[in-house]
Amino acid sequence: MAELELSGVSKVYGAFNALRDVSLQIADGEFAVFVGPSGCGKSTLLRLIAGLDPVSGGRIAIGGNDMTARQAGQRPVAMVFQNYALYPHMSVFENIAFPLQMERRTKDDIKREVSRAAEIVQLSTRLQDRPAKLSGGQRQRVAIARAIVRKPGIFLMDEPLSNLDAALRMEMRAELTQLHRRLGSTMVYVTHDQLEAMTMADRIVVLNGGRVEQVGAPMELYHNPANLFVAGFIGSPPMNFAAARVDAVEGHAARLTVEGLGSFAVSYDGKEVSAGDAVTIGIRPEAMLPGAGEAGHLSFRMTPETVERLGLHTIVHAPVGAKTFTALFNGDPRMARGSALDVSVPLAQLHLFDRNGAGRSIRDIQ
Amino acid sequence: MTFRSGAADAPAFNQNLGAYLFLAPALLILFLSLLLPAAATIGMSFTDISFLRPTNFVGLDNYLRLLSDGRFQQAVFNTSYYTLGVTLPTMVLGLLAAVALNRRFPFRVAFRTIFYLPVLTSLIAAAVVWVYIYEPYSGPMNGLLVSLGLPPQPWLQSPNLAMTALIIMAVWRDFGTAMIIYLAGLQDIPEEIYEAARLDGAGKFAILRRITVPMLSSVTFYLMIILIVQSFQVFGAIYVMTGGGPLGSTETIVFQMYQTAFGYTEFGYAAAMSTVLFFVILLFSIVGTKIMRKGEA
Ligand SMILES: Nc1ncnc2c1ncn2[C@@H]1O[C@H](COP(=O)(O)OP(=O)(O)OP(=O)(O)O)[C@@H](O)[C@H]1O
Ligand SMILES: [Mg+2]
Repeated sequence: MAELELSGVSKVYGAFNALRDVSLQIADGEFAVFVGPSGCGKSTLLRLIAGLDPVSGGRIAIGGNDMTARQAGQRPVAMVFQNYALYPHMSVFENIAFPLQMERRTKDDIKREVSRAAEIVQLSTRLQDRPAKLSGGQRQRVAIARAIVRKPGIFLMDEPLSNLDAALRMEMRAELTQLHRRLGSTMVYVTHDQLEAMTMADRIVVLNGGRVEQVGAPMELYHNPANLFVAGFIGSPPMNFAAARVDAVEGHAARLTVEGLGSFAVSYDGKEVSAGDAVTIGIRPEAMLPGAGEAGHLSFRMTPETVERLGLHTIVHAPVGAKTFTALFNGDPRMARGSALDVSVPLAQLHLFDRNGAGRSIRDIQ
Repeated sequence: MTFRSGAADAPAFNQNLGAYLFLAPALLILFLSLLLPAAATIGMSFTDISFLRPTNFVGLDNYLRLLSDGRFQQAVFNTSYYTLGVTLPTMVLGLLAAVALNRRFPFRVAFRTIFYLPVLTSLIAAAVVWVYIYEPYSGPMNGLLVSLGLPPQPWLQSPNLAMTALIIMAVWRDFGTAMIIYLAGLQDIPEEIYEAARLDGAGKFAILRRITVPMLSSVTFYLMIILIVQSFQVFGAIYVMTGGGPLGSTETIVFQMYQTAFGYTEFGYAAAMSTVLFFVILLFSIVGTKIMRKGEA
């Protein structure tokens, strides 16, 4: 059990900056999820923590001890690979026993530890089989058991579920969460699936282009995304964005004009806007309600191009100004393709972003 | 509506006929150059054919003679010694070279080429060069020994050393082959397995012993069969370098066969030797393929 501290970690491949100045603290026992689009550096970061690749700069500490110079295998971490990386010529037992044999533990000791780990992952009956005989889910469990026996301070997992089918993925997701609770160890989990991130994480680290965009609890990222990238990445279907202009600012209230939505006043708690600024507003699909709203709502009309009924939800795509908005309504409301529809959004649920640089959030509109 | 199964129903017989037609020239050459001589050899082994006297059918006489022929037994021993001496070091050196050259480092390709070069040289030319290398008075081998403070050796002139000298040369020639085959085998081991092993606390030696070598076992087996079969048939180097001597110390089965046939014109007896060797090699090949198949399943 251990906390993880990254300070100013960077990684360069040739002239390419895979990671830039990543600083992070992950508490003991926390389930942290690194999430981000393909190529953003998630695996690279995990490999640096594991010691598989050396850092180009910065410092990695585990449990308060500097690990930056230590080799893989000398750090109190265990890793579960995307492709399981089981030893194909060894039985399940031998696979799980391997790290213990490397520690020169006694035969009895090894036997006891392996059967304990096999029990946790429910593989006690398959110990004599070769990995080739197992299903994808079972192989993944062997890999997890092999990690468990090392009693690592930190579990590192690189997209461990991405090779499994959807049903099994859901099952394993729940199992991993349970395992985390049972073992109480720190977990660092990499995925590009924001659903996995939202459901499993105590804290999510959103990475993009080798940088940390935001760190926070799932609902914190959902409700208060720090910038346009996080706002667009967290949540499914993704947030709708529209360009807006600030017409006037008065104290903490601003009058905005948005193409397709007209003009309206919002109040916000930042001070970053002034009249004439170009900004972006964000509306979550699920924040839109059918019907014209009362005061405190932004109301507009749109004409659905498609209506997808999923039973629990109805998803509507409709042009708004130059953009196509996605709305997600509860249940199965009466609406049809091509016939105009009144929609409202509580003003408090609008997101406002400046359009400088990365697009910081100008938050908490009321 | 009925389902039709595309072109799969095309008459199988006609397809096979076409295949045999295309194969016919190759099969004919194979028959004339391999199967026919092999059958003729087996036939000859039951006769006392020598092209100098009338030929008689002698039944199993040639084979019975082999059983009690001390010289042939010496040749069998020499061949086995040579085979063992070549096969093991070739595989070990080939594996080590392959593992070393499987990493990324400068001049990797140059090293690979240098190690593989001996395989590409002509055997006879190489043998002539090695005769020079082993030359007792001015050869580089003894030059090396002397510069290391060791006494020079009569490499090809001593019955105790000549076979070792041949083995050293064969290993030099063959380990490039082993290296290339091992390198191909190493490509099939995913990088992640090594990474997992490193994270599991395995050092370089443990990884070699517990991961690399076992995962290459089918490659090793394949190589072993190839090298054994190849070593059983050694002839050219011996012909050029020692002529079977000194004192018959490098006389192998094939060399003795050659001498028996073309030196003593006992073609029937040589054919019997050849037949025995043929079946031993066949046995190795069959057992080898069988085990390989099992490994793949
Ligand atoms: N060994 C390497 N040499 C050069 N570039 C590399 C190397 N490893 C990774 N990269 C680059 O670093 C970037 C980050 O790679 P990384 O594997 O960490 O992405 P990722 O976030 O895990 O993506 P994915 O979701 O596709 O797995 C990529 O652009 C990749 O091309
Ligand atoms: Mg990755």
